[in-house]
Amino acid sequence: MKRLLLVLGLFAVLATPAASATRSTPKINVYAAASLVNVFPAIDAKETYQFAGSNTLATQIKNGAPADVFASANMTLPQQLHDAGYCSKPIVFTRNKLVIVVPSSNPAHISSIYDLTKKDVTVDVAAPGVPVGTYTVQILDNMNLYNAVEANVVSQETDVTTVLAHVTSGQVDAGFVYSTDAKSVPGKVKVIKIPAWAQPKVKYGICVVSASTNKTAAHAFIRRVLSAKGQLKLRKYGFLPRVKPHHHRHRHT
Amino acid sequence: MKTRLGDWLGGAVFVVLAAVTLAFLVLPIVGIFVHTTPGKLFVELSDPAVRDAFVVTLKTSVAAQALIIVFGTPTAYLLATRRFRGHAVAVTLVELPLVLPPVVAGIGLLVTLGRVGLLGSRVPFFSIAFTQAAVVVAVAYVASPLYIRQAIAAFEVVDPRLPAASRTLGAGSVRTFFRVMLPLARGGLIAGLALSFARGLGEFGATIMFAGSLQGVTRTLPLAIYYELDVNQDAALAMGGVLILVSALLLLTLRIALSWQRSPSNASPSLFGLSSSR
Repeated sequence: MKRLLLVLGLFAVLATPAASATRSTPKINVYAAASLVNVFPAIDAKETYQFAGSNTLATQIKNGAPADVFASANMTLPQQLHDAGYCSKPIVFTRNKLVIVVPSSNPAHISSIYDLTKKDVTVDVAAPGVPVGTYTVQILDNMNLYNAVEANVVSQETDVTTVLAHVTSGQVDAGFVYSTDAKSVPGKVKVIKIPAWAQPKVKYGICVVSASTNKTAAHAFIRRVLSAKGQLKLRKYGFLPRVKPHHHRHRHT
Repeated sequence: MKTRLGDWLGGAVFVVLAAVTLAFLVLPIVGIFVHTTPGKLFVELSDPAVRDAFVVTLKTSVAAQALIIVFGTPTAYLLATRRFRGHAVAVTLVELPLVLPPVVAGIGLLVTLGRVGLLGSRVPFFSIAFTQAAVVVAVAYVASPLYIRQAIAAFEVVDPRLPAASRTLGAGSVRTFFRVMLPLARGGLIAGLALSFARGLGEFGATIMFAGSLQGVTRTLPLAIYYELDVNQDAALAMGGVLILVSALLLLTLRIALSWQRSPSNASPSLFGLSSSR
């Protein structure tokens, strides 16, 4: 019994410094789309990040994960969370577009999206439901290539970073990722562009999680992302401005 | 008086700790069945994604267990009946996948049998990553040690006078293996197969690393549960419920099979053959 008390006492001693450290600097938990893995720490290095497929993060938040901010690679998921009362009204903080990446050796000699329909080409995509997976399906639908390319898909990943990793390591011939992901591994992949007319509207939404115990810091984080400095960092990492330049603007907000 | 109170307190503490342990082990399973009524379970099980996961799991599990029996039984027999230089090393190597984290097994398979892997890059036949064959190999890799260990234990507890008698009566070594050793070790072999099957059904880490996840091809039940949790939580729970029932059935098979092998000459082979293989 005495030993048990000793052990418990030891735990208390060990736990104290950590507890007091978190009190002095309120760190928040940012649950962010996997494609933000490089840029978010560059905007704000001191927060705790959880990067994964946006849909995985949304499920975790619904199940009570201790997130303060949710940054999704689409507007659908944060909007759904907002409608169900799990987060504040999401706002667009950046945009992106998709590209095809192939290993730098380009073993399947791919020079356009149409080459992905060739026999024995192996293609990696994110699962539908993961934002980038849904965008991939939209592109293939727009170009009438869905059935032909789907026949060559060898795996559906739970986030975009896995697709990128399979291409950089040469395990597959091609993969659909964001242009920002391709930019993060210069020299390791060759980028094949997707026609602009087939590109879906890729808008990233951000919101404050309703269950957050640190809403002030969460709002401050979002302000940092939306600030001129934050937006400049996003541009530097290849993201598109949060609103399209004026002469391109459509009817929507 | 003081010691009696101490005894009583000690006993009470043990009972409370045991009750907490049991509740801890059972509650997550209760949780799944609270969320899925049998009616809901059947509705979700007719979902094509769920059906595909069942088919993939069944096909790959049967293939993997067949490979494990064909290759594992002779291996276990040799390790149980022969003593040779490097025997201990061989037994350790057989057991290694058992303690290896499954993701490590998966990445190991990927850099060996992937297309840029050790074998896969040289011999196209071995380049099987992201195919259904990859699921079979991943399952066989992580599950085979359970069968082989149990099989070694089962062969070891067979009274050596019985195969010896068979040989003196004129039966060859192959005939002795099939007519004497296999029937005598039957219980242990079936128990090993049940364990290996259960482990294979739950395989996740090695499979997702090495075989990827594609509906109808490589997405087994555990992978489908992981995927559906973000898409359709009810379907994920329904598949979880079915896996629990199948696992319980396998555990029952194991218990029955082990009781077959209990005889005066061998007291009680443990679940993992730990007591008898040492």
